[in-house]
Order: sequence, then structure tokens, then C-alpha cells
Amino acid sequence: MSQVGIDVGGTFTDAVLLTEGVITKKTKVPTQENLLLTLLNALDQLDVAGKELEHITVSTTLVTNGILQRRLPEGKVYLLPGSGMKMESFAWPIPYEVLSGEIDYRGREVVQPNDLEWYRAAQQWKKERESNLVTIVGKFSHRNKIHEERLATVFRQADPQAHIALGHDWGQANFYRRSLTAYLNLTSTELFTQFASGLEQAVAQRGIRAPIMVLKADGGVLPLSRIRPVETVYSGPAASVLGAMAQTDASSFVVVDIGGTTTDLGIVLSNSPLLSSRGAQIGPFATLVRSLAVRSVPVGGDSAVIRQGKELSLARYRLGPAFCLGGPVPTPTDAMCYLGLVPFGDRQKAGAALASLMQPQELAQTAQHILQMVAERIAQEIESLEKEWREEPAYKIWGVLHPHEALQLHVWASGGCASGLKTYLEERLHTKVRIGRYPEVSNAIGAALARPTFSCTLHLDTVLRRFRIEETGEQGIWEGSKRPHLEVDTFLEQVALRLAAAQGIDLRDAQKEEFDFFPIVQEFKTVGQIVRGALHVPPGVRGRIS
Amino acid sequence: MKNTGILFFPAFDWSLGETHPEREERLLYTQEQLFEEGILDLPQIKQFAPGMAPLTKALLAQAVFPSPEHHDLDAHLIAAGSTLILGDALAKGQIQNGFALVRPPGHHAGATVLGNRGFCTLNNEAILVNHLRAEYGYQRIAIVDTDVHHGDGTQDIFYHDPNVLFISLHQDGRTLYPGSGFVEEKGGPNAWGMNVDIPLPPGTGDEGILYALEEWVLPRLQAFKPDIVINSAGQDNHFTDPLASMNVSARGYGRITERLKPDLAVLEGGYSIEDALPYVNLAILLALAGEDYSGVVEAKRPTRPEVPLSQIKPYIQELKREYDQVQANWLWRAEASLPGGYWAYIPRTIYYDTEGFQEMRYDRVRQCSHCGGTVYIESRRPPFHTRHALVRVPFAACPECRQAGYDLWEYLIGRMESVTFQDQPGNVVQFWHISKGVKVFGPSDPRP
Repeated sequence: MSQVGIDVGGTFTDAVLLTEGVITKKTKVPTQENLLLTLLNALDQLDVAGKELEHITVSTTLVTNGILQRRLPEGKVYLLPGSGMKMESFAWPIPYEVLSGEIDYRGREVVQPNDLEWYRAAQQWKKERESNLVTIVGKFSHRNKIHEERLATVFRQADPQAHIALGHDWGQANFYRRSLTAYLNLTSTELFTQFASGLEQAVAQRGIRAPIMVLKADGGVLPLSRIRPVETVYSGPAASVLGAMAQTDASSFVVVDIGGTTTDLGIVLSNSPLLSSRGAQIGPFATLVRSLAVRSVPVGGDSAVIRQGKELSLARYRLGPAFCLGGPVPTPTDAMCYLGLVPFGDRQKAGAALASLMQPQELAQTAQHILQMVAERIAQEIESLEKEWREEPAYKIWGVLHPHEALQLHVWASGGCASGLKTYLEERLHTKVRIGRYPEVSNAIGAALARPTFSCTLHLDTVLRRFRIEETGEQGIWEGSKRPHLEVDTFLEQVALRLAAAQGIDLRDAQKEEFDFFPIVQEFKTVGQIVRGALHVPPGVRGRIS
Repeated sequence: MKNTGILFFPAFDWSLGETHPEREERLLYTQEQLFEEGILDLPQIKQFAPGMAPLTKALLAQAVFPSPEHHDLDAHLIAAGSTLILGDALAKGQIQNGFALVRPPGHHAGATVLGNRGFCTLNNEAILVNHLRAEYGYQRIAIVDTDVHHGDGTQDIFYHDPNVLFISLHQDGRTLYPGSGFVEEKGGPNAWGMNVDIPLPPGTGDEGILYALEEWVLPRLQAFKPDIVINSAGQDNHFTDPLASMNVSARGYGRITERLKPDLAVLEGGYSIEDALPYVNLAILLALAGEDYSGVVEAKRPTRPEVPLSQIKPYIQELKREYDQVQANWLWRAEASLPGGYWAYIPRTIYYDTEGFQEMRYDRVRQCSHCGGTVYIESRRPPFHTRHALVRVPFAACPECRQAGYDLWEYLIGRMESVTFQDQPGNVVQFWHISKGVKVFGPSDPRP
């Protein structure tokens, strides 16, 4: 069977066709304004029309760009913050309205909503609304969704056409991030749905019946129709990490994907990419979207090199391709070309670019200096990423007694300029830098071979008899015992199996986290427990390139 | 807005017993509250990872008998180590203030440790204070203990130290554990006036405790001019606390923090796990970070009778008058077996409530007008006859007291079951045990 992987980058879109782990076709097309056309162009270049394919996996910047360029429609946001921190303590990138009602940390109702106030809010919205998009988020709604659902009913009564998103669908703690995540997902839905149906139609027209999968920020894949749009943000860096995993036998390493404008970094530890402890940040929006621990460094082969007095510096932007490839200004690529480190570019032009920065007799030195600067900037970010991983907070004695070991991680580099920076990175980081065989389509390989991720996190309060599933926002009644042990294990497995079946995911590789049991004591008697547990299928690849 | 460090270490896998107040659940709801509020997303708040303190750090403040290996110290060393991590960040200017939200607590653990008392084994603040003095050269440090229980352990450790001002505001010891902390306890002979105990009547609320703060604590702090202020931030003055009877609210704690402006706050007690801790911790953290805490409102309302301000004002004024009038009365003697000079002799007993035994203590401090004076503490746990000793050469010791300490250390070896020698200016602790000989704990010991 064959798979297709397509990675939409800022400048170029890469695509590969894999058959039994062998690259049978690869292509690179410029990324156009219209993403759908870009994807179809890449597909056509691969010449897969009418072919039997296992799947087509796409990593797209559609939603990321939609958010960053503020191209999404607006919707009203109603928040139920109750008491606690002031709303003004945070910078809210969107306007909101505050309504009454309060839930506490165990999901108990503390303040009942003011029904009249709710009714009036819905009526006013109906009168003045600009769209039918409504986001409703309550503090601690991930513990109890009652207020969110009741307020949604009030809005639906005002207008059955209301398109409403509720915060508890994102069942993790963090009211601020949950509000923004629910909002972004709702407002990006239409954009994504249009794109999805366009893509499905076009693929069908080409006689391809394979399912279309989308890469997520956490490195997993889901069918186009099942994905929550906001989860597709930042899948590019995830594709880099997976692409590296598909091309090496090593189990722990740092991934460096050197692009034209930016360099993406990630870490793989014991065959699993490191996940970020916080959700993705998309421009001014802090979200709960699970993502890999990746960094984007604004430096790449096409970064403009600027001279200020006697000093050279790297700009954080790109003005076009390298001078040696017909671009307007000197870049690190010119330095690599001049030193003969890359097999492309006009060396004379590269020399001229460097000469515009320094005296002609110092060209080689200047070129080396530029590459050292690039290596330095990348190395600093690698070090800070490693530091962040080592210094991740622990909340248990066990965690402090068993800290992350200091690993000497080698670097796996990809991207068109990877070979040009190899020795410079090695010198700076004192570690080996390896380069894959297909650095230019590494991301597309990652997309093609990404396997689905799965996560099911249970929070159970046996005193209040309620359970919650973080990933789906499901909340229900616990009918088991007050102090469950094996029972809770079976329960988690059953929930996970049900969710996995719905998503078509295989749980054979699932890893179970150790359960946390918190006895709840009232009046010096144990009356029940809070139990936390989880089951994961971590991100990874289905196989390796041979 | 202040750059505030937080070290949240709830020790979710540690308890003193399933239904003990000091159990896994204690900071669970605080975690829920802080994470749901998203307080770690505030740009000025930086979270730090916990770490374990080297044993040396603990031994520079406390002697652990019969020997450190005799006790399971892991959890306590992590709580102390985490406090040190925030202290380092402060000293290096990475943060402007910080909150060590850690378990287990420490302020009942004193200069000698025979076991757990008042839920404490190692004294997090004391270990921090001596670390800051040894590593960064801070000279004058103030500790303000706002836990409802008298901070008797911290008081014990610094009682003879003229460079550490200890102030404890607590519910009157005649009505609450540990039963000490009266105005007469003004400090040892060489540190007279460096200890201030303010016992408040049960029922004192926000206004009462703030009055004591404004009229007594803050002026005393101002006169002392400390390099650094540490707050033992116990939360059991809250109106829902099951072990105490005060009436302070979460916002009251916010106001205390705002007025006190501690450089570092360290969690102590507080056992209203559901009704107080999530709110009080949030209010303290917001106050430290310079954010508005006025929206932090508990789900429950106070039900206890509150002592009105009109009644508490004269009460506190009278206490302060009493404090000012207390006269020192020491028993001075020269002892043939001790190095030269006069030694104040202070015998006492300490009760260990967790395991229910008593420690007999014979404290001595050398009279000195130049420094804190050599401290010599003999400890015994009846019915056992074995004796243990602590010898301390204090920070900024004068040459005579330093020599006296060394002489005493050499003299005591072989005469006790174990001896701890704290050379604080040298940042070295030596420990001798009858069956193991001498072990040196130096500043260069790596962190485990």
C-alpha cells in the first residue's frame, strides 16, 4: 500500500508518495495564497490520480494563518468567571461579556445564575448580533458543565440558529485558555469545513478513494471530518519531528529543521516526541491545544544579513531568496554557497553578496562568521528547550527523586540548508549532527507516516459521584464504589475503548499512567476519593523509511 | 506588578496518615484553583521546579538526633530544597518576591530534632535563612510568622541570634497548640528583643490582625531594617480552619501580604483544605504579584463570633506595654566543664505531639557583647539515658566564642551518643556519632 504526505510550509509545499517504506515520488511546489490549489498542485505532481492509496495526510497552515491574520469571523463570548482573579489581570485578545453564576473547584454550584440577566443577554444578542457564533465558558466548567448548558439553552430559545460552543468541550483546567480555545475553534470551523469539503471533492474527482487525514499539533492524525479545526495549528513543526523519527534508528535526539525563514526545533526521547506542558500559543491567543514541545526560531537560510557599522547581524525576517539564487540581499545561504557547502547557487553572486558586507579579502572569514551566528542562535534555543524539559515541575516526591537524566542528545538536522550548517552546529554544541537522506521532504515524510495519537484522562470524584473525561469534555455520574481500586482501572479502559473505537484508533500501544488516589476526609473520616488517571497513545511514526 | 516566583510542591504522594490533616488532599484544591485561574500564565509569574536540599543545609540550622539516617527526611528535604530554590532565584535577582507553596511544613521543628512535631520535622524557613546568610552574605533577616500556631520551632532556632528578628502572630497559646508564644519570650540574653510573640485572642479577624501588623509588627520591622523579610504563611487564621478559632478571610491574608511585602512567603499550616486553602493561596499569590485580590471570595461565609476592633485595639496595646516592660532574668554561671566565660543556663522540655514523647533540653549560651555567643544544647529523650549535643558557632561569631565552640566540640566527643557542631561562619557542619565517628558536611557537597 502507498501513502501520501503533504506538508504546507510558508514558502514551499512538500509532498511524497511512499510505497512500502520507499519514497517512490517526491515534489516541491510553491505555496500559493489558495491552499486548496496548492494541495491539488502537489497531488497532481505526485501523479496519484486513480491510484489505490492507504491514506493522504496533510499538514496545513490554514487555521494558523486564519488566526494570525485575523481572517476569522467574529462571534460573541459570554463568560461566567464567578469570584477569584479579576478578568482584567489577563490581556483578552477578544471582547467578552460577563454573566452571573459560579461553580467551585469540585464542580459544586456556589452562586446560582440570575435567570433574568441571562434571558436579557440572549435577547440583546439576538437584536444586535453580527453572526450566529456564540461561545459560552464558565470557570470550573470542566468540573461541572451545568451552567454552560443552561445558558446555551437560553440562547437557543432566543434563536434556534445560534451556533454555540461550550468551554467544557475542552476539559482541561485553565479558564482563560479554555475560553480562547473554544472561541478559536468555533470561529475557524466554517473556514476549515469549506477547505475540507473542497479538498474531499477535488480528491474524489481525481479518482482517489483514500481517506484524507490531517496532522495535529501533537503529531497525531485524525480523519478530515473528525478533527477539531484549532487542533490543526502548528502541525508543521510536528511534521519535522515525525519526519526525523521516520529516517533514523536513534531513539533520543534533538530535531532541527532549518527552513528559509525559520528553524523549527523539537526533542525526541525514547522514541516519543516530547509534548509541551502547556497548550499552544497562537499569536495573542493562549490555548489548550496539545502540542509537541517545539520552538520556532526566526532564523533560516534566507534570513537577511545586515551590516550595522562594523558588526553583522541576522535579521528576523526574509526579504526573498538568497542573493546567489537571484534574491535581493545577502543571506546565510550565500555564505554556504561561497564556502561550497551546498550544491546550489551562483558562487560568483554569493561572493558579491558577501563583498557588499565586508572587504573582499575577508570573504571566507565573513561567510564563516555568518554561519557561526546562525549556529549560535539555533544552539541557544536548543539549550533553552533542553533546560525547560529538565526543569519541568514535579508535584510528587517520586518525581523529585527520579529526575530527568541529563542526556547528551545528538542533533538530527533537516531542511535544504542542513548540510551547510552541520560543522558549525557540531562545533558550537559539541555533539554530533546527523542529516537525513531526504532533508528537503522530511516534513512530508513525517506527515505520511504519522500515526494517530490518543489520550483519555479521567477525573473521578466518588463523593460527589461525578466523573469527567478531559479530552472530550464528557461528564457523567459515577455509579461505582466510594473507594474504587480495580474498578476504576476497568472503567478507564472501557471509556478509552469506546472513544478509541469512535475514532478508529488501535489501543494496543496505549500506555497507562499511574493512578493518583486522593482520600477525601471530612470530620476526620475518609468519605471517598478523588482519582486521577490517564491512558495515552503517544505520537510516533508507523514505520521507517528504508 | 512584581516578578513573582512560585514553587508549587503539593507532595501528592505523601501524608502523615490517611485521615491526618497533613495528607495528599491538602493542596489538591489549591492546584485546581490556581490552574483553573491560569495564574501561571500571568506574564510576571515564573514557576520553578522543586529540588532536594542537601542534608548539610538542614544541619546548619538544626541538629537531627540520634542521627539524620534515623529519620525519613526525603519529603522534608524536598520542601526545604524547594524553598532554597526560590531563595536562590531571589538572591540572583531572577524574581522580586516568591511563594514557596510546599508541603510538609516546618515552623514547629526546632534547633534539635528528635522526630516530627506539629506536622514538622525540618524547618524550611530556618534552613533558608541560614542558606541565604552563608551563600549570599545577607546579614539581617526578619521572619514574620502569620500561621495561627506559635512558630515555636523557628523561635527556638534563632532565639540567641541577634541578627534574626522573629515575629510571630498567633492565637493565644493558652487556647491552642503548642501552648507557647507569650510576650515574655523576648529572645536570649545576647539577642534580647529579637523575638516578638503576639498572642491574639480567639475570634480575631481581618481588622484585628491588621491592627497588630500596622501598630506593632511593621514599626518593629522598620526599626530593624532587615535585608530580607520572610513570611511563614500559615493559613489557619482562616475563619473555617478546623484546628483553630480565628476569623481572618482570604482577602485579609491578601491585605497582610500586601502590607508586609515579604520577599519570600513560605506555606506553613492551614487545614481547612476545601474552604480556605484554594482561596487563601490564591489571594497571597495575587498580592505578591501585585494583582487585584479583592475578587477572591470564599464559598462559605464566616460563622464564628468576631472580636470587634474596639475590643481588640486596647488588648493589643496592653500586650505591647507588657512586652516593653518585660525584664530579662537569666541564670548565669561559670561551669568547670565548659570553656571560659559565663553561660546562661536554660533548661526546658519540648513535647513531640506526633509520636507523643518529651524531649529534655538543657540549653546554654555564652555571654558575649560582640556576637550571638556560642550555643550549647544538650538533649535527652526519657526514658532513654543517652544524651545528644548541639554546639553552634553563630554567624558573625567573635574569635572567643568561635574558640569556645571548637573547644566544646572536642570536649563533648566521646561524652555523648552523638554531637552536631554547626560552624555557621565556616558554612560547615560536623557530626560525630559514637558508633560511626566524625562526618563532615561541607558547603561543596553536591545536591543529590
